Amino acid sequence: MANLPLLELHGLKRHYTMPAGTVTALDGVDLSVQPGERILLLGPSGSGKTTLLNCIAALDTPTDGSYRFDSKDVPQSNSEKMTDFRRENVGYVFQFFNLLQDLTVLENILLIQELAGKRDEKRARELLDLVGLSGESDRFPAEISGGQQQRVAIARSLAKSPRLLLGDELTGNLDSKTSAMVMEALVKACEAENITCILVTHDESLTAYATRVIRLDSGLILSDEPVSS
Amino acid sequence: MSKLLFKRLARSLWRTKLRLVAVIVMVAMGVAAGISFGSYANSAETLLATVYEDTEDGVNLADLWVDNNAAVWSSEETQELCSGIQSEWPSTALPLRACEPRLVQNGMLIHTDESGEEKLIAGVWHGSSNATVNRIWMPEHSTVSGVIAKADDEIVIDAHAAKGLGIQVGSTVQISAGQGAQSFRVVGIGYHAEHLYFAPKGSILPASEGTFVTGYLSSEGLERLTALAPKSANFLLLDIEGSPSYDLQSTAIDEGPELGSIVTSLSTLMGELSAVPTTVYNRSSVQSVEFLRADAEGAQKSYPYVTGMLALVAGITIFLSLQRLIQSQAREIAILRTLGVGRATLMPAYIFAPLVIGAIGALLGLLIGVKLGAPAMQGMYEDILGIPVIVDGLGDGLISQNVSIAMIIVFLAGIRPAWKASRLKPLDILRGQHEVRLSSKRLQKWTAAMPIALGLTIRSSVRKPVRLLLTFLGVGLSMLIFGSMLLMMGSIEDLATGGDRESWDAQVQIPMGGEDAVIQWARENGATHESLLQFPATPKDDPRQFLLTGHERLGTAAGESLSLVRILSGQLPKAGASIPEVLIDEGTSEFLDWGVGSTHEVMIGTQPQAVQIAGITRDEFARSVHFHQSDLSGILGFSTTSILLKLPDGMKVDSELGSMANAIVLRQDTLDAFATMQETQKKFFSGVMFMGILIAVVVLFNTLLMNLAERDTELATLRVLGAPIRRLGQMLLIEHLFIGVIGGIVGCLMAIAGTAAMIDASVQWAFYFKVQVVPSTLLLLVGIVVAIAVALTPVGTRRIKKMDLVEKVKEFAR
Repeated sequence: MANLPLLELHGLKRHYTMPAGTVTALDGVDLSVQPGERILLLGPSGSGKTTLLNCIAALDTPTDGSYRFDSKDVPQSNSEKMTDFRRENVGYVFQFFNLLQDLTVLENILLIQELAGKRDEKRARELLDLVGLSGESDRFPAEISGGQQQRVAIARSLAKSPRLLLGDELTGNLDSKTSAMVMEALVKACEAENITCILVTHDESLTAYATRVIRLDSGLILSDEPVSS
Repeated sequence: MSKLLFKRLARSLWRTKLRLVAVIVMVAMGVAAGISFGSYANSAETLLATVYEDTEDGVNLADLWVDNNAAVWSSEETQELCSGIQSEWPSTALPLRACEPRLVQNGMLIHTDESGEEKLIAGVWHGSSNATVNRIWMPEHSTVSGVIAKADDEIVIDAHAAKGLGIQVGSTVQISAGQGAQSFRVVGIGYHAEHLYFAPKGSILPASEGTFVTGYLSSEGLERLTALAPKSANFLLLDIEGSPSYDLQSTAIDEGPELGSIVTSLSTLMGELSAVPTTVYNRSSVQSVEFLRADAEGAQKSYPYVTGMLALVAGITIFLSLQRLIQSQAREIAILRTLGVGRATLMPAYIFAPLVIGAIGALLGLLIGVKLGAPAMQGMYEDILGIPVIVDGLGDGLISQNVSIAMIIVFLAGIRPAWKASRLKPLDILRGQHEVRLSSKRLQKWTAAMPIALGLTIRSSVRKPVRLLLTFLGVGLSMLIFGSMLLMMGSIEDLATGGDRESWDAQVQIPMGGEDAVIQWARENGATHESLLQFPATPKDDPRQFLLTGHERLGTAAGESLSLVRILSGQLPKAGASIPEVLIDEGTSEFLDWGVGSTHEVMIGTQPQAVQIAGITRDEFARSVHFHQSDLSGILGFSTTSILLKLPDGMKVDSELGSMANAIVLRQDTLDAFATMQETQKKFFSGVMFMGILIAVVVLFNTLLMNLAERDTELATLRVLGAPIRRLGQMLLIEHLFIGVIGGIVGCLMAIAGTAAMIDASVQWAFYFKVQVVPSTLLLLVGIVVAIAVALTPVGTRRIKKMDLVEKVKEFAR
């Protein structure tokens, strides 16, 4: 018997009203994601992958359709409830890392735990160790490389033990060697914590780190295929 | 190209409308305040010059006074004295135009109020038939009516008093001057040059309504009232051609050496001609003239600073706003530079922008100042001083001066950001290097033990130290005017009212030898009494007057005397020393450089008298020398000029006591006068308070907006990562609490320094005091700033809440 899906999307639509007319970013997406999956969302610019990611993160509100996470409806209108949902369930990694420059590497991780009300320095250090940065804990972001910063961002996103980790072009700003290091760290961390990942990228080479690849175009899923190990 | 750059900048500025409005408000306030305060200063100065002028319309204020301190001259004596003065007048460039004898007597008005209760009101009566000097001033104004008194039963009542007592032309008043009360018919309501600042002699507070009265009778009328022989006089008023300069008490230099040498030679001459001690002095020793001059001078000196200060806050706001704008436009600027736009093309737009903003603010401020501020300030002059403002206070380039100050500061504020904009390095910006900065390790160490959110708050707050310092400076300046006003009032209150030093209820000024009757009255009515001997004198070779006071009881602790002294240094004098021992007040000590233990000569009339300084007293406005009564009476030859009374509970002075007195001064009147002054100034204080608070709001609001704009990415990241609004709100609150507390403390320090500077600049021989730091005032100042800072936090929280996170995430990707 299959596990219960972690998240389910049915007929998800997102339309934007612009001066030039209505833009359809998502045009009825159906998606079911099992716990532990690592999904890569691929597609050309404007295909709707980032919109889909934003809807999954409860950053954006779908125009139509349903979104259930762990068998519960995800809040879609109340911004504070949407924030609560993100805090309790979602880790997010940005393309440009977005680390807080005034905090050290370790403090960047601790802050997220503090805000979630569960500060745990031991775990923060373990996460740094997991992404191979235990020696950099007292450095400021400006003192480490881009690849290292992204690994800190991954550790930060895992700090509150989310069920789902989302990333938008998280290697888009890195060279291929560093990208590989970051992705390896990510896979290692997600496997260790049994975290589901959904990553948006243009980089086909990242399929090597995924368990499933979904291709989008014009707001619709073109293909949804598992990746053989 | 350059036109397009201007357009681009204008659009960018328009995107930050709120900050733009804040800057315009600041400039407008600076200009409006400058015009308002300036119009007050101009009105005060021009008005006095107009009133005192030697013309038919002016009162022709005397240039010199010869004051018979102890007695009254007969008609023959005044003729001889004036002849002597005219014949001995030094042949200088200051020819004498008139020597006019004048009789001025203290007295009382017996007023029956609406409930039928009789009240004795202290008064001063001038006899002035056919006066050519110190004429009654009756301008065309709603407060003035009638004609001057000619018959011996006619009187003109001062407009200040007439209003409070409900006296009108046609009313009959009962007045006395130590010889019983008589009725006089009021034929006019007007003003007098020596009572324009309407306060009893020795008081710095304008008398509250119905507590003091002055009247201007015909010479015959006053002689009838005082039972003195015709043409008796106790003053000689000397009028010199034109208005010669005289030595101002507020400056170290002698502005009127020629007049000063005339005063010296006249003093010597009067010693030879007059049998009684006399004093010769110029306008600086006439209380009303000097107070109003000092007020006008203070206002003239201070208003450019007020404008400059407010314009400086506006400059700081502009500087910070432009800096932030440039920071946010760095990428655009870099692209323009990469595309070949030169520095010289970029810079003008950034210089022009603040000038346009400044011009809009200045125009707005000009309208507010001319239409609202200036009339309000002139109205306040009329309300507080009770003098009709009949001149235009906006003349003499006041408007152009204020607008220029504001525009220059605004221009200077724009130069550095403009220069910085043109010097940005395109490559660094496009690589993102300009945003990379290393946080302080030391600060990280200090805040490491704190919760991360708190540590982040502190580190973020001090991330831009210059901006933070400028914010504190702005907040400090905003509290400067308001705080200084509060501290000034706090410093004055105790001195003006006497505080707990004075425990008497009434000071009965008696005719020579009249003390026994008053003491008898006191005994019969269970009142405590204490006699005083007061007489004016001057330091040797110095025309400035101080008051010699002989105390029946000299004491420092409650119960020892009805009028205590507070010793600053030294000790109480011993009675009966071969060289009389005295106390001098702190101001006298500072101005004359007289210290404890030193011996000096004072001039009583033309007679020198050596005194030894036993101690220095504090908390006295006026210049004073305190003797034991026995010592001073030994020098003067008489023992008492007034008696202090402490009345039993519920008892009031009555007409029986009034008949024994020249005048009665009630302490309650002084307390009421202070309360009235505070009440009258309430509107002004509210205005200044509103201004201070508005500036603080604008500065803190601007800081809040800039902090939010600068931390946009940071805050959005935290929101995306699930940080609850409540926690971000707390972080903002802590940060603003920190800014509020520090800003409030800076405001207090600046207010104290500002008050001390203001006091230093305004104290002079006539009034001396020091800043009294009242803790409750400081708490109020800090409290106001903290309250503003905290009250603004929800605005910040709301802006964070309203962030479009989808757009932010898109921006991150860009």
